[in-house]
Amino acid sequence: MSYLELSGLQKRYRDSVAVDDVSLSVEQGEAVALLGPSGCGKTTTLRMLAGLVDPDRGAIRLADAEITRLPAHRRNMGYVFQSYALFPHLSVARNVGFGLEERGVNKTEIARQVTEALALVRLAGLDGRRPRELSGGQQQRVALARALVIRPAVLLLDESLSNLDAKLRDTMRHEIRSIQRSLGITTLFVTHDQVEALTMCDRIAVMNRGRIAQIGSPEDIYERPATRFVAEFVGRANALPATRNTEGRAVLWGQALPVEAPASGEFDLFVRPQRMRIVPVSEPVADGMARVTGRVLRSVFVGDHVEVLLEGAGGQLTIETQSGTAALPEGAEVAVIWQARDTLPFARETP
Amino acid sequence: MTGTARLKLLVLPAALFVLAVYAWPTLGLFRNAFHETGPTGAMIEAWSLKTSQEVFSDGFTFELTLNSLWLSLSATLIALMLSYPVALFLFRTNSRFRGLLAVIAIMPMLISGVVRVFGWLAILGDRGLVNTLAQSLGLISTPLKLVFNWTGVTIGLAESIMPYMILALLAGFGQLDRTLEEASRSLGASPARTFWRVTLPLSLPALALAAGLGFVLSMSAYITPKLLGGGRVFVLATEIFEQATTNTNWPTASVLAIYTLVLLLLLLVASNIAARGLQR
Repeated sequence: MSYLELSGLQKRYRDSVAVDDVSLSVEQGEAVALLGPSGCGKTTTLRMLAGLVDPDRGAIRLADAEITRLPAHRRNMGYVFQSYALFPHLSVARNVGFGLEERGVNKTEIARQVTEALALVRLAGLDGRRPRELSGGQQQRVALARALVIRPAVLLLDESLSNLDAKLRDTMRHEIRSIQRSLGITTLFVTHDQVEALTMCDRIAVMNRGRIAQIGSPEDIYERPATRFVAEFVGRANALPATRNTEGRAVLWGQALPVEAPASGEFDLFVRPQRMRIVPVSEPVADGMARVTGRVLRSVFVGDHVEVLLEGAGGQLTIETQSGTAALPEGAEVAVIWQARDTLPFARETP
Repeated sequence: MTGTARLKLLVLPAALFVLAVYAWPTLGLFRNAFHETGPTGAMIEAWSLKTSQEVFSDGFTFELTLNSLWLSLSATLIALMLSYPVALFLFRTNSRFRGLLAVIAIMPMLISGVVRVFGWLAILGDRGLVNTLAQSLGLISTPLKLVFNWTGVTIGLAESIMPYMILALLAGFGQLDRTLEEASRSLGASPARTFWRVTLPLSLPALALAAGLGFVLSMSAYITPKLLGGGRVFVLATEIFEQATTNTNWPTASVLAIYTLVLLLLLLVASNIAARGLQR
């Protein structure tokens, strides 16, 4: 039995299913991200864990005890809300001390732990401020300190970084990860931001339409997406319509690739743009490489890389090349090569 | 014409209207307050403070003031306690009938005050709903005196100001964010503790706003004290009406009206200061 077990969780609303069937095991001290587009049921799952939403079906077990029907205030879950939800009528210190006060901890002990928690999130000395006198980043830290100070069984973060600007988000990402690691606190993140999921977690559960599409390490999810949805949602990928030849190989733009095609049905080949390289048409094809040719439509400079849009016999594809190299003239005839094993065939979705 | 100047034009019709129907008569009120009533009952343009001296040296004025304040206070508190849960419910519910429920809550506003009073007479009178029911259940042997006294007026007044207070509460609930209550729950506070530590403190500005409005409406209410009081309930508003119509003593009515106005202004200032204190 794992530390935290969700099994067969389901939540329906009037005429929609928010969470269809979610099962997930989390080990003690592990950080798991629930990643998915809006409306995929990730936040509802988190809220069911916190006891803020009652599941229609399924069970939640924490440290071998069933907590499915336990009211929120008896679950000991540290919840950091997207909007931070700091109490506007209380000072920073009383916000952080709120959970301890409810637990009947004595005043001196509360003061000590609040000071400690504020130091942990690097907000020492701001005890007396009101939440509205703080910046967004500071409010976020107070919310984190408030959730951590109760020594929660599980720390739940709901899109907690999405209201911060890009730079601050980077800093907070690393800070939260290092606090989470040093305290060894079991953590569940909800996010729609793949960078957040990839960098902050031990494992990622990619969710789609109320179900978990794939669970795995960040590398697993990125390198070996189990479904078309995961391949599309995590990272960028070219989805290239292909056909199957008599030898069972995939044929792209009229060229047979050293890639096995699915036994039946229409399919697309998924290749990440940064795994592709542009080479002169004259360069011979090495073993295990896939290759197509085409004409450069345009190159777009994006700072740390250049996006090249290529048009071939069967459509278009995007390649990411390093910036700083000589730009390719529009209309140039080039070849594109990539490792055959970086090619993932997925059945075409019938809309 | 600049944009702001044109914008100001928008308030011109309202400003003219207020000037005509409020500022002008109020000026007349101030003028009358310095006149006297002669032995024949005719108004004498005296330009003296004699009427004021008479009104304020009369113990009855003091009694009326206390009556008005006490009635308004009790009606406001009762209405506040009844309105707060209703407003909280309306603010919170996701029911598809929310719009309808809100209309029902403020429905009494759509009915004439006189009609409402007769409704209360049917409910609270000697042979009204309450007494008939209590007697048939054997709870009481003689009917309770629920109308034509302070009890009836307080009940009727509380009911009549409730819709306004519900609207004021709904308007004032700005800070009340459901997420804050969820945060409180997640931190270990039971629903009751959450109400006490989060919901109620954050409702205080709305409660102050509603109480202020209810109090002002109660102080100036005339129909309810007059009809449900059955001539036994005397407050400032009924007395002003008495003096102005039955006694045609305009100077005295004017002095009392201005006195009530000043009283309300002072209370308004005080409640504003209090509300600002609560928001901090």
